[in-house]
Amino acid sequence: MVRHIQLTPLSLLGVSIALLLTFPLFYVAFSAVTGDLSQASNLWNTRLPELITNTISLALGVSIATLTLGVSTAWIITRYQFWGRAFWDWGFVLPLAIPSFVLAYVYTFLLDRGGPVEQTWQWLTGSDAHIPSPYSFTGALVVMTLNTFPYVYLLARAAFQNFNLSFEEASQATGATRWETFYRVSLPLIRPALVASMFLVVLYVVSDFGAVSLLRFQTFTYAIYQQITGRFDYQSAALLSLLLVSFALVFLFAERWFRKQSRFYQTSGRVRTATPKSCSLARGLAINLFFFVIFSAAFGVPVILLIQWTLTALAEGEVGTSFGTYIGNSVFLSATAATVALALGTPLAYLASRFPSKLHIACLQGAYIGYVLPGPVAALALLMLFTDMIPLLYGTVFVLILAYLIHYLPAGLQAMESALQQVNPNLEEAARNLGAKGIRTFRQITFPLVRKGFSAAWLLMFLLCMKELPATLLLRPIGFDTLAVRIWLEASEELYQLAAPPALLIVILSIPAVFLLSKKNWQAG
Amino acid sequence: MSIMKMIIQIVRIVSIQPLVSMLLAFGLLSFSDLSSPELSAAESVVVYSGRAERLIKPVLDHFEQTTGTTVQLLTAGSTELVNRLRAEKARTPADVFITNEAGALELARSLHLLQPITLPEVAMAIPEHFRAPDNSWIGLSGRMWVIVYNTKTVDPSSIHSLLDLAAPSWKGKLAIPTANSEYLQAGASMVLAAKGEKTAKNFLEGIRDNAGNEVYGKNRQIVDAVAKGKVSVGIVNHYYIFRHLAKDPEAPIAPLITDQDKDGMGSIMNVAGIGLTAHTKHLSPAKELIAFLISPTGQEMFAQINKEYPVNPAVNADPAVPPASSFRASTIPLTRLAELREPIIHMIQDLGLR
Repeated sequence: MVRHIQLTPLSLLGVSIALLLTFPLFYVAFSAVTGDLSQASNLWNTRLPELITNTISLALGVSIATLTLGVSTAWIITRYQFWGRAFWDWGFVLPLAIPSFVLAYVYTFLLDRGGPVEQTWQWLTGSDAHIPSPYSFTGALVVMTLNTFPYVYLLARAAFQNFNLSFEEASQATGATRWETFYRVSLPLIRPALVASMFLVVLYVVSDFGAVSLLRFQTFTYAIYQQITGRFDYQSAALLSLLLVSFALVFLFAERWFRKQSRFYQTSGRVRTATPKSCSLARGLAINLFFFVIFSAAFGVPVILLIQWTLTALAEGEVGTSFGTYIGNSVFLSATAATVALALGTPLAYLASRFPSKLHIACLQGAYIGYVLPGPVAALALLMLFTDMIPLLYGTVFVLILAYLIHYLPAGLQAMESALQQVNPNLEEAARNLGAKGIRTFRQITFPLVRKGFSAAWLLMFLLCMKELPATLLLRPIGFDTLAVRIWLEASEELYQLAAPPALLIVILSIPAVFLLSKKNWQAG
Repeated sequence: MSIMKMIIQIVRIVSIQPLVSMLLAFGLLSFSDLSSPELSAAESVVVYSGRAERLIKPVLDHFEQTTGTTVQLLTAGSTELVNRLRAEKARTPADVFITNEAGALELARSLHLLQPITLPEVAMAIPEHFRAPDNSWIGLSGRMWVIVYNTKTVDPSSIHSLLDLAAPSWKGKLAIPTANSEYLQAGASMVLAAKGEKTAKNFLEGIRDNAGNEVYGKNRQIVDAVAKGKVSVGIVNHYYIFRHLAKDPEAPIAPLITDQDKDGMGSIMNVAGIGLTAHTKHLSPAKELIAFLISPTGQEMFAQINKEYPVNPAVNADPAVPPASSFRASTIPLTRLAELREPIIHMIQDLGLR
């Protein structure tokens, strides 16, 4: 492996991409610290304690809940054979097709006082007791957990599937119980997958805007959006963003560190994976019931409601003719952003995994920052930058796509990096020793090996862009409303029926991508 | 399922040859830039609107149909759009700026983002206190910030003033808008202007404690909460009450116009309005749109669809709402709203309203 690095053209490319992606952070930092800092102490006294507590407790709560849900479902599905398994296998990925704000708006309807859930509860118990309001920590926890546990499920499932059974057998042969084996061998072995999925989940929760604002739960990102849209100074928003990004950086380094601690290569070419054990009828039923409850809450009920509302809207003639345009806008923006992201992400991921110099690692880390730079702030920074310096491009989809790149490249990068790490560097070295140049090695050896991982990355980014809200709201050119924007405009008026058709469309459009995603055997770490 | 096929196709292209699809995407990108609407169409108006789309779209659609001028609408928050106009400066594609309250318009004017509307109709159609001194913005429709109460649980004669709602006896019975609501900011500004800082503070503190968790992002939700009996009273714009009653005439809700005593501040009247942007590139169709909105036809649409008060005295309010002559509105000029915006936001934030 080459350790000392001269500044190659590839390096330069990587640096310029990283600069492009981190610019908004610099901008935000700059505007946070220039100007009147009396705002800072004011913020500290009034808003910060609440925001910090809320954000951290939500991230922590959702992490624990998604880990429990994701790992248990993945474990059962990879280890047991039962009736309905084939359906649940991909069924648990479907919730990814529902944007967080759609799930949130469905849940404000379901959990509202006097809503269906409360009525059922009161009917069952015969009491007048109220259920917790959806406009609370509980509401946000439920919605965010149901919305993000598939990430954990996907990665844990892939890890369990690629898991070399020999380790477990060795453990049991030396006298460990099944629980000990699970706890001390299986879990540590899938730790890279768990850490990677936690990373995704926490960043998703922390940067989410749509769900928390519909549920009126004050997190950093929501507060920042309120500062931008409701006030005439951006400094407070910038200060809040700077804090949020600092937290995220700490988190980022922690994740890196974990991953370094736990890098495994398969030692031989052959891996023996587990075959699912068949289980009794009773156990099969219990599993199905458990899965049915989770699935209904995360996907079944919301989609049935959306269909019902859509039918009502159609019957009342409230669905306009502009839907074709919204669909086109959404698909076009997301596909373009995902494609460009793939092109920009490849050099970054490649450099960091093959030539891990300080510079290259820094470039990669830099690219990750965008994920926690809240959508609204990145959007605002771009708005100012482009109106000031590159007016020609202002008001075009270019700016919006750049915002998508900054915000969602990290999600794909995670998968791309993992895919690249799975490729044993010895293979590439062998090709180079045989005289192949860098690009040729990449095209002929590396790329075919990571193609699946990269496709998964593309799909993930496509999906996330389809659901993107705050940057689209702030940066969309006139007449360029996406499905997500339409849902938002109607849902924030609580016009359930009117918001339903575009919401259902986003779900339907996302399902093929989600389906392919569930077919991929994508691995982390 | 051609879309599914399309996606699979795209994935296939991507996984085979990223370069090809990148070129493809950029091709599409430049194509879409060329075809983007603001570069074409001579007779078109770009509207930035801070009003709920369903309240303004029917009126704009009517204008589009009768004149043939295309209207392009961008809906967002009023304050957010001022920020956008400020960032866009001379390059803004917006021709007119519609908001749900006067404060944002006055702010845009003070930032030199608007220009005087030189239409002879303006002086005749709109009373002076409903427009900027230089006619940079004009009110289109009036909305009163009133109390909505549940007729089953509240005796209306027990409330004389909006400020009464701050009394501890309303604890747990009141619903209010969120801290970033422009209506709350405008309403509190009016209290501040009429009664001074101490009263305004006490009022905000009182309604904060009384409302607790009953804080809503939308007026509609507050009216709904009162109708369902979740709370007894709420503070909203008047037309949300009448719109609810139009749908459900049996709902146990009614508006309460307060502060009518001789030394009272009067009911809080604000306007939704329109401004002409300083950098409009479509001056004549923009003025045509404004002229339509203040004409009797446009004003009647506001009165009918939205149950708002037409600003044009020649047009009557919807028969369902109390006639404008039946109450006394606050005399504080709407331009004060912009001056008080920052102080009131600070106050709201310092007091920790949600």
